[in-house]
Amino acid sequence: MHADLSFEQAPPISVPLRFFLSAPLFGVVAGALLCWWGADVPTSRWLGETLALTHLLVAGFMLQAMTGALFQFLPVAAGCNIARPLRVARVVHPMLLAAVLLLAFGLASNVAIALRSAAALFLFAVAIVVVAAGRALLRTPAQGATALALRLAVGGLAVTVLLGAALADGLAGQRSWPLADLTSIHVAWGLGGWALTLLAGVSYFVVPMFQLTPPYPPRLSRWLPLLLLAVLLAWSLQLVAPIPQQLVLVCGLALAGAFAAITLWLQQRRRRRIGDPVFWFFRFAMCCLLAAALLGIALAALPAAVDGPRVSWLLGVLLIPGVFVSVINGMLYKIVPFISWLELQRLASPGTPVPNVHEMLPGSAMRGQMGVHFLAVASLLTASIWPAAATLAGAAFAISSAWLGVNVSRAALRFVRARDRIGASEPSRQS
Amino acid sequence: MRRVIDGRNLLPPEPLELTLAALDQLTEGDDLLLLLNCRPAPLFGILRRHGYFWHERAQDDGSFEITIRKSTVGEP
Repeated sequence: MHADLSFEQAPPISVPLRFFLSAPLFGVVAGALLCWWGADVPTSRWLGETLALTHLLVAGFMLQAMTGALFQFLPVAAGCNIARPLRVARVVHPMLLAAVLLLAFGLASNVAIALRSAAALFLFAVAIVVVAAGRALLRTPAQGATALALRLAVGGLAVTVLLGAALADGLAGQRSWPLADLTSIHVAWGLGGWALTLLAGVSYFVVPMFQLTPPYPPRLSRWLPLLLLAVLLAWSLQLVAPIPQQLVLVCGLALAGAFAAITLWLQQRRRRRIGDPVFWFFRFAMCCLLAAALLGIALAALPAAVDGPRVSWLLGVLLIPGVFVSVINGMLYKIVPFISWLELQRLASPGTPVPNVHEMLPGSAMRGQMGVHFLAVASLLTASIWPAAATLAGAAFAISSAWLGVNVSRAALRFVRARDRIGASEPSRQS
Repeated sequence: MRRVIDGRNLLPPEPLELTLAALDQLTEGDDLLLLLNCRPAPLFGILRRHGYFWHERAQDDGSFEITIRKSTVGEP
């Protein structure tokens, strides 16, 4: 008989669920604030309000969902597990919630104590995640492209948060860091070293499985995260020496664009004409990533335009709500019903009826929310040329995020009810 | 008797749902052959818990063949 511990070691379902259920709340807050603040926000990436909104998405929405995914994904994709996952989650989750709220408040209102407290909380919480996940990833014998990308992504998260803490320290007036250079390196590590590397590692696993595509080309899978790392290291050298910035930027954007193009190409070659929301969220995200890469490369030839507020807003919208929030939407719709259904299968005796995955989260609810999300991203893009659209965009984004939260919460509620029914009919099987 | 579930062109967790439904009808001496594109790690925990034996074989094209029997018959 085989021993397969990978899924047996999967964390209790409450571990990832707490992160998945929290993530949409930050989208609601960010959307509502954009609606409130309106047309000023798209005019500069350096406004406190713009920085606050950005961090509600990247350190709130994205970090919550991606941390939850890390807990859930390590056993399945890399054959390892975070030790004592429940204890780690109970410490990390509230700290990250408090940290991002303090950070957003500190950035929007320029309150030094809030910035310093947020930095301390982020450093502590992310250190726990990095040590716990890093330890598991270094011990696993898995050597595939997914395991490699996950290792590099966890390292990327550590660098991002260290740089972010230094920036918060600088903004709080503690030290005189070169803030502009540090910011561009922080952004590159956050979006490239952490988010894109994790997205690549997860995609190698889930795109062929959930979208019935051929596998990613093995050479690309292996080299993409390594080349991204090389680009990020080169980009970081600007702190200590002059570098050919445009060339390094173009290399990084070309790698991101290649990943998007290959994913779109694989989707075209899927074995069955599927078109569920997960597929469309991924497709939309990859189109945004390809557009951002092409736009960035085109603008690299016109350096004066790169720092223009419209271009910064456009690139930011394409990358953050366009790519990462979209993919997370799709992944939440796949993961939450799936792990809920699986847990019920684990609890129920053979023959005991368990709601199927489609009953956990109906397709109509997902499709409706997906439409609002696409409208929100389109409105956010429009705000780059017509800032007054920011109010509508904020409202649409808040509604989309709230709808996502309701959909995911309903699936979790259906799970709890089904679990309680099983518990009532088979008390001895409850663990 | 052998029942075959070809899950290679099905969206997860459809192959798993079909397998669990088929397990309910599996009688002694029968076996269930699954054809999948990936290793069904979640299934193995359920099989172990409910007392089934299984044998897995990786194919050259990257797919997997999983043969399942009731534990009273013995390992396939």
